[in-house]
Amino acid sequence: MEGDGKGARRVPRDGGVPRGTGDTPGRFSSSARSLLSIIRSYHLFLGLGVFLALFPLWADRISRPLGIPLVMVMRLVGIYTIAAVGLNLLIGYAGQVSLGHAAFFGVGAYTSALLCLKAHFPPWLGIPAAVAVSAVLGFTVAPVLRLKGHYLAMATLGLGMVFFVFMREMTWLTGGNDGLRNIPALYLPGLAIGEGRDYLRKEYFFIWIIALLVLLFCHNLVRSRSGRAMLALHQSEVAAEVMGVDVSWEKIKAFVLSAALAGLAGGIFAHIQGYIDPNLFTIVLSIQLVTMVVVGGMESIWGAVAGAGVITFIPKVVEALPKWLGEVPHWLEKYSNYEGIIYGLILVLTMVFMPKGITRGLADMVRYRRSPFVNPWRKKALE
Amino acid sequence: MLDFLRNFPQYLANGMANGCLYILVAMGFNIIYNSTGIINFAQGEFSMFGGLFTYALAVSAGLPIPLAALLAVLATGAVGGAMERLMIHPLRRAGVLTAIIATVGASIFFKSLGRVFWPSEAYKVPEFTPGTFRLPGATVSKQFLWVTGLTVVCVALVYLFFSRTRAGKAMRACSVNRQAATLVGINVSRMSLYSFVLAAALGGAAGLINAPFASYGMGLEIGIKGFTASVVGGLGNTFGAVVGGLVLGLLEELIPGFLNVVLGVSTGYKGAVSAIILIAVLLFRPQGLLGRGIAEKV
Repeated sequence: MEGDGKGARRVPRDGGVPRGTGDTPGRFSSSARSLLSIIRSYHLFLGLGVFLALFPLWADRISRPLGIPLVMVMRLVGIYTIAAVGLNLLIGYAGQVSLGHAAFFGVGAYTSALLCLKAHFPPWLGIPAAVAVSAVLGFTVAPVLRLKGHYLAMATLGLGMVFFVFMREMTWLTGGNDGLRNIPALYLPGLAIGEGRDYLRKEYFFIWIIALLVLLFCHNLVRSRSGRAMLALHQSEVAAEVMGVDVSWEKIKAFVLSAALAGLAGGIFAHIQGYIDPNLFTIVLSIQLVTMVVVGGMESIWGAVAGAGVITFIPKVVEALPKWLGEVPHWLEKYSNYEGIIYGLILVLTMVFMPKGITRGLADMVRYRRSPFVNPWRKKALE
Repeated sequence: MLDFLRNFPQYLANGMANGCLYILVAMGFNIIYNSTGIINFAQGEFSMFGGLFTYALAVSAGLPIPLAALLAVLATGAVGGAMERLMIHPLRRAGVLTAIIATVGASIFFKSLGRVFWPSEAYKVPEFTPGTFRLPGATVSKQFLWVTGLTVVCVALVYLFFSRTRAGKAMRACSVNRQAATLVGINVSRMSLYSFVLAAALGGAAGLINAPFASYGMGLEIGIKGFTASVVGGLGNTFGAVVGGLVLGLLEELIPGFLNVVLGVSTGYKGAVSAIILIAVLLFRPQGLLGRGIAEKV
């Protein structure tokens, strides 16, 4: 279980020699040993990579009977994974809540779209620019990180509202409520991604290659000095400060990084959708991203992937239900009415019964052989 | 500039009316914060329920308006109580992060529930007495008198509750020190329940005097404005909310009015004003306009 902070700290790192097999270190040549150590550190990445690489081979065949265009949905999962893993660094690791990350997602989308539409940038330059602009904006509003807990949550909620109003009202730039249309499809120099017969599959690979790189980066980041500093300040800011952690700077780093990743996700999103308007980037998106982090599992890189997958697939599954069951009660038909009820219930129930999220809950279940659920009504000896 | 001055009384009247709503919502935030240490992100949704329940009872069910309003306030209080028992009580030992996310979840849940039952964008909640009257420089709806009157009554009732009743005093004790309150025999968990019922009822009252319109989407806006008002007045200072609400209500009319009439900025930016005030106050004067500096215990 490399993916989760607590477990990883428990397991001693022993230079990659397989334990429990009784092998002497000399049995492997040093290059084979280092290869083994890489495989052991990154086995989850390799597993996910292999799964994702093979996924389109069988996905198309079962998409039709399932009624869900799997490759298409997985593109979105990839995009949300990028944003959610950044937000998880901020919320899960550094312990700073943001209810306004849709703003950075939206700013990224608008930056890349506007650069491509008005300045005729190619998308592969527009998206890095989106990352840069989101990061700069994140740095500009970073003073809100002086606030803590509830105050920070409310202030970021307010920030999200301010950005939304500006996206809507700066009609000369953003087109207001009408949004921007005809955003060019993705392409790299010499490689058209968003065109051709199987453009979905090409976009899918493009997005997931980036997502895996981001995951790899974050996976290593949380094991670096910075990552440990974030965990430390999550536990106790005073203790972290005493131990020599520059608390405010670490918070700013986490915030700017999460803003940049949200901008990256937004930039890609604009190009695969081809159309954006401010109503895509409201508080609803912010809450969706937070739901992904929380449901997937805070303080866990893999939680972001699981959360993005679950939250993105739920609406698609509900939409496909009539196809599976033949007939459903008519109240289920308009999913959009119930979307909020489902998200709200998921958030509340997760917090009450599985406060560590899916990945952490299941990992603990496997490791400590206990129920992944907590019983909030159990009387404690010390009330 | 002249236009702005001519409109000034109108801005004052509108600002006062909105300010009264913010006072009620902000008091709800403060009451819950004092007895549980939680900021209830679903506070705005209580107002939504207040408005929509009144619509359901007065228009759909045809009850007389005062009765409908009273029942709506009680029903909203019951929603608050249910929320406390089902969600806040189980999470009473959880951290700040958990509480924030859970109440955000509750807010989304309530909003969607409202949307399922009342799906239109706006419902016309009947005014207590329709019509308008003229003051020098401003046209004011008669509802304005009801809004101010009911707000004064609510604030007075809350004041009496906190200063005269046993439960009110116990809740004040909780706000000072929950552990010490437990030691002198106060049932802290029950005080948390009372605070949610009271806050929800106040929010519901705000929602129904917000006539003529109610909709499922009104909660977020009124919630963030109510919170801004409570921060301006000093979070945890129940009666600071009165000052905070009025200041916010007036600023929120005067600033966009000034920008629009004098500088020609679109009125669409009005939605950002309270959020900017919120962030500015949190950053530069977190103890509120009235509060003294706060020392944090570490």
